[in-house]
Amino acid sequence: MSVLSIVVAVLCGVTALLGLYYALRELNADLVLLGASALLAVAWFVLGSALALRDLAGGDPPDRITLYGYLLTALVLVVGGGWMGLFERSRWGSLVAGLGALVSAVLLMRLHQIWPGGFA
Amino acid sequence: MSASRPRSDRSSSSRGFEIVLIAVYGIFAISATARSLVQMLRDFSFAPVAYGLSFLAAVTYIAVTVALVRWGRRSTIARVLCMIELAGVLIVGTLTLLDPALFPDATVWGHFGQDYGFVPLLLPVVALLYMLRGRAQGVQPGRTA
Repeated sequence: MSVLSIVVAVLCGVTALLGLYYALRELNADLVLLGASALLAVAWFVLGSALALRDLAGGDPPDRITLYGYLLTALVLVVGGGWMGLFERSRWGSLVAGLGALVSAVLLMRLHQIWPGGFA
Repeated sequence: MSASRPRSDRSSSSRGFEIVLIAVYGIFAISATARSLVQMLRDFSFAPVAYGLSFLAAVTYIAVTVALVRWGRRSTIARVLCMIELAGVLIVGTLTLLDPALFPDATVWGHFGQDYGFVPLLLPVVALLYMLRGRAQGVQPGRTA
């Protein structure tokens, strides 16, 4: 689980930096940035599924509503950011794709606080 | 990075920097709404003022997001809503400092949005500056590199 969490964190960082780089260089989102976004979304989905499985197996998270709310929001942010990068063909669309990844990294940190046992 | 990547096009359908504002306002609309609903449904009587103000913040963010999407940055309604938002952040932020007893639990605009890295304070300022500037950066011809 902690390995998965590190993978998500690294992908968040890569996507956020790519988005910033694209915005600074005035580049449209291309397959590299959108691919990083998509990979991050998949990683978030796997992490969410793993946490849900641990919950089902009797992991007993202290706050289920917040836990699943955050997981869902993170997925929406990453997918939505990539979506905007795809349809807003300017540097700002690329920046939004990076921003989505950045905010999802904050959600990852909060998830560790919400359910430390889930990542142990 | 290869040099053959497509440059930004500047077609009229492109929203430019406005899309960033829409995205950030959308994120705050979602997070403030979720937070205030969870707070209010759990135990509204614990901190009614804080939770009510969280909800007010959520409604404001939703309104600005919708205004930006539908009418764009040049609309009066978007500008007025951003001014209301700025006033809200300043009033609620000051209130949390002056009368902490009123807030047993945190609210979105408490301490000028400290929980959110003070972005709630910066956001309306950036939005208003951008709106008042008239022409967007995304419309200007880009540099060639």
